[in-house]
Amino acid sequence: MKKYSQETLVGIFVLIGILCVGYLTIKLGKMELIGGDFYNIIAKFDSVAGLKPDSSVQMAGVEIGRVTKIDLDTKDFVAVVTMKIHKGVPIQEDAIASVKTSGLIGDKYISIQPGGSEELLKPGGVITETESAVDIESLISKYVFGNVK
Amino acid sequence: MAEKTVDHEGQGMIRGLNWLGRKTLDIIGELGALAIFFCYGIILIFSLPFQFRKIIQQVYFIGVKSFLIISLIGLFTGMVLGLQGYYTLVKFGAEGMLGAAVALSLIRELGPVLTALMVIGRAGSSIAAEIGIMRISEQIDALDTMDINPMRYLVSPRMAASVIVFPMLTALFDVIGIFGGFLTGVLLLGINSGIYFNRIYDSVVLKDVTGGFLKSLAFALIVSTICCYQGYFTHMRSEGFGARGVSLATTSAVVISCVLVLVLDYVLTSFLL
Amino acid sequence: MNEPFIEFKDVSKSFGSLKVLDKANLAIYQGEITAIIGKSGAGKSVLLKHIIGLLKPDSGQILVRGKPLSQFTKAEWRHFKRSLSYMFQNNALFDSLTIFENIALPLVERTKMSAAEIRKRVMFRIEQFELGDVEGKYPSQISGGMQKRVALARAVVTEPTMILFDEPTTGLDPLRKNAVLNMVAHYQREIGFTGVMVSHDIPDVFFISNRVAIIENKKIAFQGTPLELEQSDDEVVWQFIHGQEVLQDQLTGLHSKFEVERALKQELDRIGRFQDVFSVVLFSVDSLEQIREKVGYIAAQRIFQCLGMTLRENLGTAGYAARFGPEEILTVIPQADATRADLIIKEIITECSRQELMNPESYRKVCLDFAIKAGIVEVRKKMRLEEVISLARKSQKVIAKLECDKGRGPV
Repeated sequence: MKKYSQETLVGIFVLIGILCVGYLTIKLGKMELIGGDFYNIIAKFDSVAGLKPDSSVQMAGVEIGRVTKIDLDTKDFVAVVTMKIHKGVPIQEDAIASVKTSGLIGDKYISIQPGGSEELLKPGGVITETESAVDIESLISKYVFGNVK
Repeated sequence: MAEKTVDHEGQGMIRGLNWLGRKTLDIIGELGALAIFFCYGIILIFSLPFQFRKIIQQVYFIGVKSFLIISLIGLFTGMVLGLQGYYTLVKFGAEGMLGAAVALSLIRELGPVLTALMVIGRAGSSIAAEIGIMRISEQIDALDTMDINPMRYLVSPRMAASVIVFPMLTALFDVIGIFGGFLTGVLLLGINSGIYFNRIYDSVVLKDVTGGFLKSLAFALIVSTICCYQGYFTHMRSEGFGARGVSLATTSAVVISCVLVLVLDYVLTSFLL
Repeated sequence: MNEPFIEFKDVSKSFGSLKVLDKANLAIYQGEITAIIGKSGAGKSVLLKHIIGLLKPDSGQILVRGKPLSQFTKAEWRHFKRSLSYMFQNNALFDSLTIFENIALPLVERTKMSAAEIRKRVMFRIEQFELGDVEGKYPSQISGGMQKRVALARAVVTEPTMILFDEPTTGLDPLRKNAVLNMVAHYQREIGFTGVMVSHDIPDVFFISNRVAIIENKKIAFQGTPLELEQSDDEVVWQFIHGQEVLQDQLTGLHSKFEVERALKQELDRIGRFQDVFSVVLFSVDSLEQIREKVGYIAAQRIFQCLGMTLRENLGTAGYAARFGPEEILTVIPQADATRADLIIKEIITECSRQELMNPESYRKVCLDFAIKAGIVEVRKKMRLEEVISLARKSQKVIAKLECDKGRGPV
């Protein structure tokens, strides 16, 4: 009886432990149990200052994917951002990607505005229309020194 | 006269160097022994027949019995984080970030470290004492004479159980801590519960979670090794024998484990970030 | 005899600066019980622990069937170790396991027996050692004697070919002690294991052992059969087998037999050269056996104690007195002629007569005569030791007497 209850308690403990681990990794860590849920697209920016891998990718304020990789194109000296986008979300060829900030000092994210083209981006496709990050510091300094028009 | 003093000082210096050298060699020897102990214990976990029942017993002892205390500590840590975080963030008008602050500090740092410290206090000390008493009352020798490998019988199940238990207790601590933050932040201080949780979802990434678990695994290995080692070699201590030796072994098991957990936490954090 | 099963060859062992064994040599033969005796801390347990590999010798070798332990392969060593059991001095029971689990542990951990089979074997031992009531208890909940029996049961449950006993009877009451020794002897006859037993229980342990080894001064001072042991005239050996009497002599304040013999020899040597005369007095107590039988051991002992103490008091350091035979005390009084010796004896007798021993009132339950006799020999010329003693025996006459009051008789 004693051994039985000990084993039961261990069982309950392990179950709760696994639930907690699962909650943390899958729900909070957003671990993908099944691959192929996403497709990758690429966008080139003049500057992505403040953007990090795993930053959010949004369309109309709704998260549709995440930044997976940020590289530097050593030929043109532009930032190459690879993003994974949920399978169900179509991105048009002429969609516009811009680096935005949530709030004044919040995290950077990429906002994609849908385009009007019939052609959809294939996995690995490149968004050509981009807007770089707004440099808040330079904006503020311009404001302070009265150069703002 | 002057020469004599110089001579005396010279001798003192040599004595000092001797002491330093001896201490260094002692420490290196101890580290080597610890490393061998660790490897041997790990290898023996996988020796057949697998000691399933004994590992279960240790999971019960180290894990299940720590369940309540870890929940309690987790709850209050989360609550106090919520409270402190709120009054700090509210100065910047960023109280919406509370969820992120609580969850990140729990998952990255406080969860693994506090769980390890609590388990050291609750289970680590008793592991050292139990094995130490078995050593001084010749029970370990008795195992040896029966051709039962004492390392396999005593140390390996505890190591295996620690590796299972630490991440689970850490996860429990994190989840309950986040709930504790929710209690103060949302129920007491009136942050929107959707914002609290959404902030957590937005800010926590997989790397934080795996980093936390990596830490807790490292802590599990180091704590179980140190505590078993201190108990296992109680009889080698030069400062005290018998019951005194066991008490010293328990004390140093707790102290060394705690210090190493914090040092290792720093090292791991700097690698993981 | 044939080749020894286990042989110690010049084994030395120190702990720090303390040397415990110094070139000890010992042979243990298959199928025999070897008793190892020695003073506390003489290294008996150390010797045993070398056999099972808990300790390694600093120098020298331990041979098992002619092969050094240090050259054993892992498999050979494992096989050898599995055929051994070790019973620890302080039992070394696992205090977090029940009695049943303790006994079952070696079977559970290293055999593939089914639970039912293990249970059967363990229960057999539990019944054999009368441990049925405590099967589910923990070691700290049972008496010391029971713990010993649990340890013994655990040692035999694997049916080993060799058992090393580290003081299996220490701390047991005399009945249990005999029971344990009997059990060992019985089991040994039945299974024929080789036993090595460290013990203090002289002479009980001799009855069940085939060989005896004595550790003294870091070496094996003697090894041989109990019969050879009894006939040995080595002083160390003598002290061990007469350990009990040596203790009594300390109580009576008498010298050891060896010292008196040495003194007597010395005095005989000196006669005619450095001194002219000395006296030898041989006391004997008549019907001491009878006193032992009818009154008891203590009363008999008291008579010796009285004689011994008063002798010591009167002679001081000048004389020597020791128990010579079971009923005799031999006294050497240097530089005393017969008259002086006679005087001393008279004094002693008056002293002793005052005590309750010599008072008939002390022996109410029995009617008993006894007499103390003394024979004085005045030595003036060189004689042989044996001559002196037989002369003394011949010249014995009664010097004190206790007669039973026939009128009262036994109550």
